[in-house]
Amino acid sequence: MLINNEFNEQKIQSPLQYIWHIFKGKNIAVIAMWAIIAMLMISIFCDYLMPFPHSQQHPDMLLLPPYWSDGANPIHLLGTDDLGRDTFSRLLKGIQLTLMGALLITFIVSILGVIVGATAALMKGFKASIMHHLLDALLTIPTLLTALILIVLFGMSYENSLIAVSLSLLPQFIRGIYICIENELQKQHIIALRLDGATNLRLLRYGIFPNIIEPFVTLVNRIFTMAILEITTLGFLGFGANSEQVELGSLITKSLELFYLSPYLVLFPGLAIFLIIIIFNIFSEGVRHSVIEGED
Amino acid sequence: MFNYLLRRIYLLCITAFVLTLIAFTIEHLTVHTHFRENTFTHYLNYISAILQGDFGYSIIDKKPILATGLIAFSSTLELCLFAFIIACIVGVPLGIFAGLYRNNGLDYTIMSLALIGLALPVFWVAIIFSVLPNAFGWAMPIDGNISPIYEIPVVSGFLLIDTLLVTQQYQFDAFLNHMIHLILPSSVLAIFLMSEIIRLTRHAITMVMRSNYIKAAHTKGLTRRQIVFRHVLKNALPPIIHQLRLQLSTIISFAMVIEIVFSYQGAGIWLFDSIQQGDYLVLSTAILIISGFILFSSIIIDLLLVFISPTKRKSLYADQ
Amino acid sequence: MALLDVRNLSIDINTAQGKIRVIDKANLNIVDGSIHSLVGESGSGKSLIAKAVLGLHNENWIVTADRMFLGNIDLMKLSSRERRKIMGKEIAIIFQNPRSYLDPSKKIVDQMREVLPKKLSAKHFLKKMTAKSTHQQAIKELLHKVGVQNDRDVGNSYPHELSEGICQKVMIAMAIANNPRLLIADEPTTSMEAVTQAQIFRLLFKLNQLHNTTILLLSNNFGSISNLSDYISLIYCGQTVESGSYKQIINSPMHPYTQTMIKTILEFDENIAHKSQLYTLPGSIPPANQLPIGCRLGPRCPKAQRTCVTNPEAVNYKGHIIRCHFPTLDEK
Repeated sequence: MLINNEFNEQKIQSPLQYIWHIFKGKNIAVIAMWAIIAMLMISIFCDYLMPFPHSQQHPDMLLLPPYWSDGANPIHLLGTDDLGRDTFSRLLKGIQLTLMGALLITFIVSILGVIVGATAALMKGFKASIMHHLLDALLTIPTLLTALILIVLFGMSYENSLIAVSLSLLPQFIRGIYICIENELQKQHIIALRLDGATNLRLLRYGIFPNIIEPFVTLVNRIFTMAILEITTLGFLGFGANSEQVELGSLITKSLELFYLSPYLVLFPGLAIFLIIIIFNIFSEGVRHSVIEGED
Repeated sequence: MFNYLLRRIYLLCITAFVLTLIAFTIEHLTVHTHFRENTFTHYLNYISAILQGDFGYSIIDKKPILATGLIAFSSTLELCLFAFIIACIVGVPLGIFAGLYRNNGLDYTIMSLALIGLALPVFWVAIIFSVLPNAFGWAMPIDGNISPIYEIPVVSGFLLIDTLLVTQQYQFDAFLNHMIHLILPSSVLAIFLMSEIIRLTRHAITMVMRSNYIKAAHTKGLTRRQIVFRHVLKNALPPIIHQLRLQLSTIISFAMVIEIVFSYQGAGIWLFDSIQQGDYLVLSTAILIISGFILFSSIIIDLLLVFISPTKRKSLYADQ
Repeated sequence: MALLDVRNLSIDINTAQGKIRVIDKANLNIVDGSIHSLVGESGSGKSLIAKAVLGLHNENWIVTADRMFLGNIDLMKLSSRERRKIMGKEIAIIFQNPRSYLDPSKKIVDQMREVLPKKLSAKHFLKKMTAKSTHQQAIKELLHKVGVQNDRDVGNSYPHELSEGICQKVMIAMAIANNPRLLIADEPTTSMEAVTQAQIFRLLFKLNQLHNTTILLLSNNFGSISNLSDYISLIYCGQTVESGSYKQIINSPMHPYTQTMIKTILEFDENIAHKSQLYTLPGSIPPANQLPIGCRLGPRCPKAQRTCVTNPEAVNYKGHIIRCHFPTLDEK
C-alpha cells in the first residue's frame, strides 16, 4: 500500500507536538506521569488527606502493625509508632516535606545553573578561567561533604538543609550544562547564527537551547535523584529536620531502635523514597526517549 | 604526552590552591582562635602549618588530626576498592549483554535491575542489609572492621594489608575475620556501583555498535563475537572510565554513609562523631584529605585514559 | 555473464510521515569483469541500493525484489550466516569518508591483519611464530599494490593521524585482500582533492584490468567517471532512468535526464559564450515526503505530458535500457 498520492492533506506536527505524541505512546512513562501528578496532589493537600494530625499521639494504641497483620486496628492504616502517632499521616507529611523540598531544590538549581552555566560557556578570557578553576575545585569535594559543612556553618534545620543541598548540587549541574553548551558551540549552525549577527541571548534562545533538551532532561533527573537522596541522608544523620518536623530520613532514624519490634516503621519511609525516585526516573527516561525519537 | 602531564600538574596546583582557600575559610569561620591577626597573615600561617604537616590537634582526644584522618580515610578506601572489584566483575558482563541484545527481554531485565539499584536510598539498603543475615539465620558481624580480639598494629591503615602482616601471631584468622566484616558493607556499595557500571557500559556499547567502523567490520565478514571482542570492547572503555572518574566523589560520599550505618571505622564515622561532639577543626582537614585524594586519582585516571585511547589528548580543563 | 542481477528492487521505509517508497523498481545488471557506474545526485538512493544488495539495511526497511542474484546465488534466500560469508569473500565495499570506517584504537597493521586470507593464519603453533613475518610481507605487498610507498610508517600509525587519501587507499587494500569478485565503491572520492581523486580512480582501473575485479562505482559526478566506466546507469530519486554501455549513453542519450547530465559536463571550448547561463533543469529534487507519482522527473522534465503520471516501463534497445514515455529515439 503506497502512500504516494499527494492529494491527501498532510498534517505534519511541530516538533513539540510530535514529541508529545510519541510520549503518549509509551505506556509506562504515561503511568509514571500520572503517578507524579498524584504524588504532587498528595503532597500539596496532605493536610486535608491525613486521617489524623501527624503529631497527635494515641497513648492507648502503641506500636500497632499495619492493617493486614493480626492485632491491628483498621483506623490506623499502616500502624502507629512508639508514641502512638499514626504512621500513615506521618508518611504523608514526610512525603510532602521531602518531595516539595526536592522539587524546590531542583527548580532553583536548574534556573541558577542554566544562567551561570550559559554565561560561563559564552565567556572567554581571564574571568572565564577563574570561574572554571573554581568550578573544578568545587567538583572534587563530595556533595555530601559540602552539604555537611554548609549545615555546620548555617545551623541545623530543615530550611538550612535545603539551602545546603542546593549549593552542593549547583556545581554538578553547572558542569553538566557547561559541557552540553560547549559541544553545541562547536557546531556549524552556531557559527552561522553568529555570522548573522546574533547577540548572545538570541544565540542561546534559538540556537542552543532547542538542541540540548535531551541532556538537560538527563541532568535534571540526576539532580532530582541526588537532591532526594541528600535530603533524606541529612535527615537520617540528624543534621536536617529536627524532632518536630517529619521528614522521611529522620523518620527512619527515629524508628531505628525499634526495628526489631516493628520493622514497618523503617520499611515504609524507605519504600516511599524508593518509589518517588523510581517514578521520577521512569518519567524522565520516557521523556528522554521521546525527545530522541522525535528528533530522529 | 609530556605536555599533557605538565598541563595536568599546573591544573592540580591551581585546584589545590583553591581547596586550601576553602579549607581555610571553614577554619576561620568555625574556630575563632586568632582574633588579633588579620585574615591574610592567618592564611599564611595556615598554609605554612599545612606544609609542615601540622593540621592541628583534635579537641576530643588530643591526637594529631592528620594521622587519625589518614587512617580513617584509608579504611574507607579499602571499602571502596573491594566494592569496586565486586561491582566490576558482576556489572561489566551484564552491561555488555544488555548493550548487545538491546531491546530484548534480557536487556529490559538488566536495565530494570540497574534502575532499581540507582533509586534505592543508600542508608535504607544498609539498614536492611544489616538485619538481613539475622533473618536468614546467618551470623554475620555488622559492627566495625574486625572483632576486638585481634590487636592489629596500624601500619598502613589498610586493614587487609595489616592483617597479612601479623600472620605469625594469628595465622590467617585476622585476615578472614576482616574479610567477613567487609562483605556486608561492600555489597551495599557494590549494588550502587554495579547499577552505574551497567548503565554506562550499555550506553557505551550501544554508541560504539552504531559507529561506522563496526559496519565496516560487518562487511569484512567477521562474526559478531569477533567484532565484540576485538573492536567494540577496546573502544567502549574510554567513555566508561571517563564517566566513572566523574562519579568518584559520589561513590566516596555513599561509602561514608554506609560506614556510619555499619559502624565501620572509616572517614564517615570519624567526621560524624567529631561534628556531633562539636570538634569542627577536623572539617577543613577532612576536606583537604578527601578532595586531595579525589584530585590525585582523577589525574591518574586521566593519564590512564590518555594512555589507552590515542584520540583523547586534547582537553584543557579538568572536567572534560 | 551477469555478475549481479537485480530486478525491480523496491525499498519502503516507515517514517514519521507514513510509509515512503524510496527506491522504486530499480534494475541493475552488472557484467562480469566490467566497471559499472551508478550515477545519481546526492540523496537519489545509490547507497541504499548497495546496502540492500548486501543486506546491511536497517530492520525497519522493507526490501522486495523480483530477482537479486549474484552469479548463481540468490541473495534473498540466504541466511545471515551465509550472507556474512559471501560478504567476506565475494563482495567488498569501500565507503565515503574512509577515516571513520577504520577502528580508531588500532594500528593499521593490526586491522589489515584481520582481513588477510585465512590460509595465511596458521593453526600450527610453531608456524604461528613465523606467521608474523608472512603477515608483514603480505601487508607490505598489499600496501604497495595500492600505491602506498612508506608502508612501515603507515602501518604503524593510527587512523586519525593519516590523511583521507591514504585512508582510502588502506581501505581499498583491505577490500582487495581476499580478491573479491565484486568491489562496490560508494562515492570513494567525494571529499578529496582532485589529485587524490585521480589516484584513486587510476587504482580502481588498474585493479579492474589486472585482476578482473568487477567494480560497481557509485558517484554523483558524471564527469569524473566518464573515462573510466564500461557501463553506466543513471538513477534519479530512486528510479533507474537509463542504463547502457558508455558509448551508447554518451553518443545517443535517450532520457531527458541523461541529456541534462551530459550537457552539464564542463568542457572548456570556445563554444560557450561569455557569462552565459549553465544548463540545468528547472526546479529541484523533491523532498522524500512529496515524491511525484509515476515518473519522478515529471515536474521538471521538459518533455513531460499527461501520460507521465504513470510509471514508465523499461524498454530495451539492444542493451540500452530506458524508462521513459518520450525517449529521444534516433536510429543509428
